[in-house]
Amino acid sequence: MSHAKIKLIAIGLAAAFIGLSQLSESRKRFLKELLRQTPYLIPRYFV
Amino acid sequence: MADYNAIVIGAGCGGLSVAAQLAKQGHKTLVLEQAERIGGCCSTFERDGFKFDLGASIVEATELMNRAFERLGTSIWQEVDLIPCDPLYTVMLSDGTRMTIPKSIEATAEEIGRISPQDIAGWKAFCAYMQGFTAQLNDFFVTPTLTGADMLKIFAGSPKLLSYLPLFTSSYQDVIKKFFVNEKIRESLAYQTFFIGLPPELAPGIFAVIPYQEHDGLYYARGGMIGIPEGLKRAGLRHGMELRLNTAVKRVMLRNGRAMGVILEDGTEITADVVVSDINAKTLYLDLIGEAQLPWLTRIGVQSYEYAMAVPMLYLGVDYTPPLNSHHTLATVPMESMNDFWWGDYRTGRIPDKQFAIISWTSHSDPELAPAGKHVIILTLPPAPRTVMGKTWDQAKPELIDAYIRYYSDHHIPGLAEHVTVADLATPLDFERGLRTPFGAIYALRQDMTSETVFRPAARSKSVQGLYLVGASTHPGGGVPTTIASGIVAADLITKYEH
Repeated sequence: MSHAKIKLIAIGLAAAFIGLSQLSESRKRFLKELLRQTPYLIPRYFV
Repeated sequence: MADYNAIVIGAGCGGLSVAAQLAKQGHKTLVLEQAERIGGCCSTFERDGFKFDLGASIVEATELMNRAFERLGTSIWQEVDLIPCDPLYTVMLSDGTRMTIPKSIEATAEEIGRISPQDIAGWKAFCAYMQGFTAQLNDFFVTPTLTGADMLKIFAGSPKLLSYLPLFTSSYQDVIKKFFVNEKIRESLAYQTFFIGLPPELAPGIFAVIPYQEHDGLYYARGGMIGIPEGLKRAGLRHGMELRLNTAVKRVMLRNGRAMGVILEDGTEITADVVVSDINAKTLYLDLIGEAQLPWLTRIGVQSYEYAMAVPMLYLGVDYTPPLNSHHTLATVPMESMNDFWWGDYRTGRIPDKQFAIISWTSHSDPELAPAGKHVIILTLPPAPRTVMGKTWDQAKPELIDAYIRYYSDHHIPGLAEHVTVADLATPLDFERGLRTPFGAIYALRQDMTSETVFRPAARSKSVQGLYLVGASTHPGGGVPTTIASGIVAADLITKYEH
């Protein structure tokens, strides 16, 4: 993997970390709950 | 040749809506209801001269419901005597402040301004925003959402909906906080999340439209809420629909992956070209059809759905005029307390110290519901889990009735404890037994964004041919108007695919 790609991934991760740390606890719980259900989206589509 | 063109399992509002429409189209249609009366959660029962509404005690979105009645050659106004409720409700905030919310949006702005002048602008902006949103919904509630292509069609038909995407990706609480700054005003607008079965921080932002939509008008059906399903039943019977009460379905018969009819609890087999289910989708797929009949992915999907929360109801007949001033009174707690309740007491089976509830004074709208000089009060209590205080609901019921009456007498309805002549509590266990809804989940399945539209059980089954779904389990979800709308969706799909 090139240095440029590694830099890009690192910047992306840092941005995501900063973004998440800015969220309120309430917002985090909302997103966490959505993420918890996400694996079931494909099976639910077939019900 | 089959015994019937269509068999509908369950005489809730969705079941009666689709059955009446199919009968109107000339199809021989039979509705099978396991209970002794129709309506499901929108029903009314009598005890000692008092008439109590089992679940729903108010209704909105009359135009949506009327679409089904119009298809039956009538109107909701002809079939049901709907009494307008104005004020919409009184709010008893946790700090003792009272607010009276009128139907008029302008007058509501004044009432909000009395508590928080800076939130008048927020209320006006909120209403303008929600007005724009509802204008984009058009036929959303009566449009099938079976596939991604259906969803694309909805957005293609109303491209401006895309500008409301934040409502789909944020919580109810986020939306309320965006428009309102005062904690009391936020509290007064938070209770509505429990109408869809989630706390403010988890309920999808789209449901924040409810406090706006209520201003189109809230209504009560004279004689009890059963008047609405009775109207559908009457119209259906006129068109030849058949209805059998006290008739429970044990299995859906399948042949080569297609629904062929039903087997009743007594073993009787009745065949039909199509079967429509108005019961909880998990009960349908896991019990009436059976896991073994489902493709593996469908089986995982069905099992993954979480039930909506259960809501106990306290029915009281009283021999005085209660010191209330509207059909509905919301006894509220701050939004954060509702969230804390969800993560705390609700999960551990505790009754919250600070109660919140809908107090329905139905005999205020219709005095005929109670003997002369007496009144009906119904409390929709904080949601509750399977067991409470380490006991089953049957064990806890007697002491809970007394505790609830004392609490509301002390905090919200002075004199109540001295004037109760009839008292009964419908627990989640009672709802489970009486309505065949697991865990007493009156909204069937949870209504978050991962269980909506294409991700909610489809109105036309994707695994069993000739099987259709109506009611709270399918699009557009729980509630009297929406379940009636689900009957429109199913009737259209049956017309499209079966004839």
